[in-house]
Amino acid sequence: MMAKTLQRMGDGRMVEMTEAEVRKDIEEGTKDAASRAKIPPLSEDEIKHILDIYTRPERIVSVEPGNEVVLSHDEGTVKINAGVCGGAGLGIDCGRMVASELYERALGADIIEYGHIDYSFKPIRPILADERILVERALLVTTAPFLYGAMPNLGLYTQPEGPFPNPTELLNKGLIKEARESGEGMVEQAVNDMVYIASGIYEAGTDAINLDTTGAFGDLDFAAALTATERLKKKYPDLCIEMGMAGEFILGIHGTITYDGVRLAGLYSHQQVKLAEKAGVTIFGPVCNIVTSRSCAWNIARVITFTKACVKASKIPIHNNMGMGVGGIPLNDTPPVDAVTRASKAAVEICQLDGV
Amino acid sequence: MGKEQQELLAEAKKSIISFDVDKAKEIAKKGLTLGITPAVIISEGFVPGITEVGDLFDRGQLFLPELILAAEAMKAGTTICEAALPKSELKEKKKVVIGTVEGDIHDIGKSIVVSFLMANGFEVYDIGRDAPIENFINKAREVKADVIGSSALLTTTMEGQKKIEEELKEAGLRNKVKTIVGGAPCSQGWADRIGADAYAENAVDAVIKIKKLTGLS
Amino acid sequence: MLEAHAMASGMGGMRTAGDLVARMEMARGMRIKEAKEYVASKLKVSLRELTDPIVMGEVRDELKLGLIAQMPNRPKGIEAKFRIAELLGIEINSVNRFKEKAGLPVR
Repeated sequence: MMAKTLQRMGDGRMVEMTEAEVRKDIEEGTKDAASRAKIPPLSEDEIKHILDIYTRPERIVSVEPGNEVVLSHDEGTVKINAGVCGGAGLGIDCGRMVASELYERALGADIIEYGHIDYSFKPIRPILADERILVERALLVTTAPFLYGAMPNLGLYTQPEGPFPNPTELLNKGLIKEARESGEGMVEQAVNDMVYIASGIYEAGTDAINLDTTGAFGDLDFAAALTATERLKKKYPDLCIEMGMAGEFILGIHGTITYDGVRLAGLYSHQQVKLAEKAGVTIFGPVCNIVTSRSCAWNIARVITFTKACVKASKIPIHNNMGMGVGGIPLNDTPPVDAVTRASKAAVEICQLDGV
Repeated sequence: MGKEQQELLAEAKKSIISFDVDKAKEIAKKGLTLGITPAVIISEGFVPGITEVGDLFDRGQLFLPELILAAEAMKAGTTICEAALPKSELKEKKKVVIGTVEGDIHDIGKSIVVSFLMANGFEVYDIGRDAPIENFINKAREVKADVIGSSALLTTTMEGQKKIEEELKEAGLRNKVKTIVGGAPCSQGWADRIGADAYAENAVDAVIKIKKLTGLS
Repeated sequence: MLEAHAMASGMGGMRTAGDLVARMEMARGMRIKEAKEYVASKLKVSLRELTDPIVMGEVRDELKLGLIAQMPNRPKGIEAKFRIAELLGIEINSVNRFKEKAGLPVR
């Protein structure tokens, strides 16, 4: 009888699988990604490398000394204080300045990310002055690079929270033209907000702005983020912009909206990065979401296939998104260290990432 | 089935994938003339078309406005077929009440599920986002829903999906309706924990699971 | 999860040279290899030593680049960033804003 190895599923459950079963999952994961994005699947050596990492008995695995990469942390300091969108926080009421210091000194962050509790651009507009003051103060006491993050989150511009009729609801009524017009209005207002807020935070002294979960509202969201990036880079050529995505391909909500003549709907990460570069993005963060019903080995093979193509296509640093339910890491508030370290090592080594 | 009939079914599928409303109508009429039963034109012609549309959407090769156009072609074709069905074979549309739970204003995934369900012939009651739990229960009671679908995108709002299960039991409706959960932080494990009947990984999966829950597959 | 990533593949931030390599990616869009080589040459250390906290602790202390462990009379926060900007030959936004507000020459 073949020996069993301990594996994790995408929802974090531990299961036993033989090496042959793990290998089959890796092969299927890479084939799935390759066929979707029309990119090469992983090579035999790469498959074997993933298999080796995922069948090791140790709880924790790592890259070899000298091969480490830079870690940037989405909404990091916010997570210490409270629950935030996407996941529960630690609920330690210590303020964001103290959280920044914690990240820098207790957690050894390479880049500190500061953000607003709602973590979207739109709600920051009326309180920008307060955010600027807090950012200025945090920058005096921290040494590590400082990134201010928020999500374009175009959903907030739809009624009742926002002024525009919801394009997806209009589409479900068959009102395609009206849906597109509403979406285009949302893009314009979101760009306005992002440029205004990012400008204020840059003038407060931040090293970088993170446009996080770009693409959450599909091609409209991506269009807004690219346009905002272009305008910000014209205004502040030295501003570092990190763009983190929301999914492996761009959902077509509008369907025909373009940037630089390229239709945004349906673009995979190796195509998204080219437009991001053109707009002026400094660091790009591709995303591949977990499939909870498949093993982590299947998922990481898929992640690496997409991300490898993205790294190859890119001229700018790539920081792969690897968190709760993303980048081959299980969908849990506190993902298990065995799963996180395996995904981290595999992605860094095979994709030749610039960061995570 | 003869070659001409098989070719017609292939054309029926194509009419949906190319969102051709006129073609779908033409094919439906021609199929009936050729003696193909309406149920077969739907199940082996139009349904494979909308299924492929779903697959193409899931791969990022087709987009939401196109899904809506495909749904219109589907509706055009199936309406003609359904009109030709004997009354005894006419099945009432299965009803789904769907919304994003209270405290959660994310709705894009839920809206896409609505699009897919409508395209696949379900009668959908979208109660919107940030929907109080009682709205799910009341609407389900009002329309005699077959399924309640709830979406949650935050670990902090997922509790609403558990409350739906509890409220349904309290209202004495739990045995009368099936439940399905979805959203980024959800999983089959979560559905099992709270007693939901199913979990949908994405919109395509939602249609497959809801068809199963309602005995359509 | 942060700590799991940090143990698996992270450079270690201010324990080592992680923050400095990050700055080169951010300031000049350098890929990781180029960024590490650049920082290593400025610090006069080998690539492997960039993530050695023993070597980097001494180097950071000597060059006044800021340390994890807080010690009296060592540059902290904005003070260390002044030194980092000068050593790496980059503009650090918060340093320039500080200079502007404090009435010091920016460049």
